Amino acid sequence: MRAFLTRRLLLLVPTLLGVTLATFLMLHLTPGDPVTIMLGEFASASDVARLRSELGLDRPIVVQYLKFLGRAVRGDLGSSIRSRRPVAEEITERLPPTLVLALAAQVLAVCAGIIAGVTAAAARRPSVDSAIVAVTLVGLSMPTFWSGLLLILLFSLTLGWLPITESGGLRALILPSVTLAAPAAAVLARVTRASVLEVLRQDYVRTARAKGVSERLVVYRHALRNALIPVLTVAALQFAGLVAGAVIVESVFSRPGLGRLAVTAILSRDFPLAQGIVLVVASMYVFLNVGVDIVYGVLDPRIRYQ
Amino acid sequence: MAAAQALARIVVHREARRAVAISLISLLVSLLLVPLPLTYAQPKSGGELALVSTEEPDTLDPQKTGTAITGQLMRYLGDTLITKDLKGNYIPALARSWTVSADGLTWTFQLRNDVKFHDGSALNAQAVKASIERALAPETKSPIAGSLFGPVAEVQAAGDFTVTIKLKEPFAPFLDNLTDPRAMIVSPQAVRDLGDRFGRSPVGTGPFKFQEWRSADRIIFARNPDYVWAPSYVHAGPPFMDRIVLRIMPESAAQVAAFERGELSVLAVPPTDVRRLQGTNKYTIFSFLRKGVGLFMEFNVTKEPFSDIRVRRAVSHAIEKNSVLQIGLEGLGEVASGPLPPSIWGYWDGIKEYAPKYDPGKAKALLAEAGWRPGPDGVLQKDGKPFSFVLYTAPIDTWTRSAQIVQAQLRAFGILMEIQTFEFGTLLAKLKAGEHPAEFMGYTYTSPDIVQLWFHSSNIGTGLAFSHDNDSKLDALIEASRRETDQGKRLTIYRDIQKYVVDQVLWVPLWTNTNYFAVQPNVQGAKTHPDGFLVLNDLWLK
Repeated sequence: MRAFLTRRLLLLVPTLLGVTLATFLMLHLTPGDPVTIMLGEFASASDVARLRSELGLDRPIVVQYLKFLGRAVRGDLGSSIRSRRPVAEEITERLPPTLVLALAAQVLAVCAGIIAGVTAAAARRPSVDSAIVAVTLVGLSMPTFWSGLLLILLFSLTLGWLPITESGGLRALILPSVTLAAPAAAVLARVTRASVLEVLRQDYVRTARAKGVSERLVVYRHALRNALIPVLTVAALQFAGLVAGAVIVESVFSRPGLGRLAVTAILSRDFPLAQGIVLVVASMYVFLNVGVDIVYGVLDPRIRYQ
Repeated sequence: MAAAQALARIVVHREARRAVAISLISLLVSLLLVPLPLTYAQPKSGGELALVSTEEPDTLDPQKTGTAITGQLMRYLGDTLITKDLKGNYIPALARSWTVSADGLTWTFQLRNDVKFHDGSALNAQAVKASIERALAPETKSPIAGSLFGPVAEVQAAGDFTVTIKLKEPFAPFLDNLTDPRAMIVSPQAVRDLGDRFGRSPVGTGPFKFQEWRSADRIIFARNPDYVWAPSYVHAGPPFMDRIVLRIMPESAAQVAAFERGELSVLAVPPTDVRRLQGTNKYTIFSFLRKGVGLFMEFNVTKEPFSDIRVRRAVSHAIEKNSVLQIGLEGLGEVASGPLPPSIWGYWDGIKEYAPKYDPGKAKALLAEAGWRPGPDGVLQKDGKPFSFVLYTAPIDTWTRSAQIVQAQLRAFGILMEIQTFEFGTLLAKLKAGEHPAEFMGYTYTSPDIVQLWFHSSNIGTGLAFSHDNDSKLDALIEASRRETDQGKRLTIYRDIQKYVVDQVLWVPLWTNTNYFAVQPNVQGAKTHPDGFLVLNDLWLK
């Protein structure tokens, strides 16, 4: 187990190197540079040249990348070009709201997804099953920027229940987390339904039924526990997707967070900031994957790591 | 696993507790803000004005900012040496009076002696000198503020309250640039004390002072109770409202919903919602013409077929601008005629009559004269080649719709126009390189000096001279406009430039849009400044 962990963590180095190099190249290859974006289209050529050299952007790309790497290994992510604040400060300020949102959405998605999936699988009437499957299809297909706006129009504007401009606190978390959770919950519901249906066909379930165990107990005690392994795997992997999905939801609901920061950084070609965010998110993703592998082993005793 | 769950629980709890605390505070705040019954409409003190912005400021340091929203906010946080009244005249602000030497090189400003920065330090000649020198210093890396002052040779504190700015050469936009909010005077003491943190807690002399900035959420300014140096176009003394809060909301549909729910006091109305909000009759709607030309078609005069001035003129007679305005912009603006709109000083009123008008006969005659004859399929031909070109444009709704109207109108004359859309940054790069035959463009600017950026040959390939027209006569006119400090003579030069650009048909100006502000009914005394911002000094909440 220790060797496995060491190997996985060592893999972090080439992964992050590759990720930063790819981001760096992509940002530099897309047209437009931070200075022209900062100064606007009316800037004179001499002003552009002056600011470029003051910011060190006139040096070769390789030099810029190596400088970035050199500083990054020493824990210095540099300063944002746009705001001129330390990148580390910007990220630590914006990471918590995103994690809270993703976590809330994850909890919602797991609860709603599992309940819906089990209900569909265990439904006596096929109409209930079909209805749930249809709803999950809608949940999956609705883009969050659209469903988010619909929720605002319904719950904030028409019904007047929830504020729009509030950004902190539980009340402000409700609509964004529901929006973000909906597609994830739909996926989980479908996975749960398929998994439960499969387990229900197993011999031990038939044995339990033959013994006269109530259908309720069969589904919730015997079948669900075994059916949950794939569901939890999907859920854990979804978390990273929820952090990524926060980009759109944070914009629609005007929540401060890492996603919006990333969008601003990319649109303004703020190289150091974009790099820093990618570095942090990629590390999180890698750690999360390692975590999922470990949880696997805990959940399923048959899985062992050498 | 268990530990992680416990951790998650703690995080959630802490969040929940903070949430309760925040909603308690907001409850208290809202109780304090309950409006008292009002018997007569005397301005009432107190309250909070909620503004909204799509974009978050990069920094609130006026000398380091590159974002437009920071410029808007600096109008409330700071004062400039001089300013413009509601008619656009230059009037005293921090400077009581000013003089300029006959050669236009030495500007002398007499400062007010009763002005204090928000940090309590006094505004005097030394402070003004330090502030301007900071804007100009290379280590400030100033995107905009540094270039506003022009070719400065030296800033001198000639007395306690006398400042002299010496220029290397005459710089006509100088006075106008001094009214730019980013030319505001910042507190040198705060700059020293705060260092890099100045941009997150700026200190000026304006009617409002900085209170708080929650990243990606809101920026709060509080009333400056000591403000007695207001310019003459607003009441003397501090503003009426306790606070202004700028909410940062990237999604415009969410902004509109928040405004309709009463959570925002003022809204810049997106074009799609203008008619609907007007129709509710609930809100006061202000409008002003954009300071710039919203959309024009520009020809690259170095490429076929628009290297022939007769073809350019023919196209300008073939486009019926009012349909483009009505359909492309849903009529929310006015037809444009020249390179400057009526909203920018220097605009020549005669341009409307002077500019070419829709005239199918003239268009056909000019095309025939240039050698373009209808082919068998109705498309014009010359030397066996059909008249077809690509219009480069950006993915902006109103531009795309306008392009389709122009496309249909030109098709009627046998001209095939293909529309190609590029992301804005890419588009600019392509236009600089000059690979386009024609493009759609628009601009917003405060002064007529913009013509230098669009038409001076030094900007070919580097600046905005996308017509790639290397014309010494036009260059000379533009250079004269920048040297001339007599405003009357400058007006004449700008008239000549506008006529010349129309004569050469470098552009077919199409329309300029009207911008709309909606204001909640409880907001009283709202005024818009001709420079396109809301004047807050006289504003109060019922």
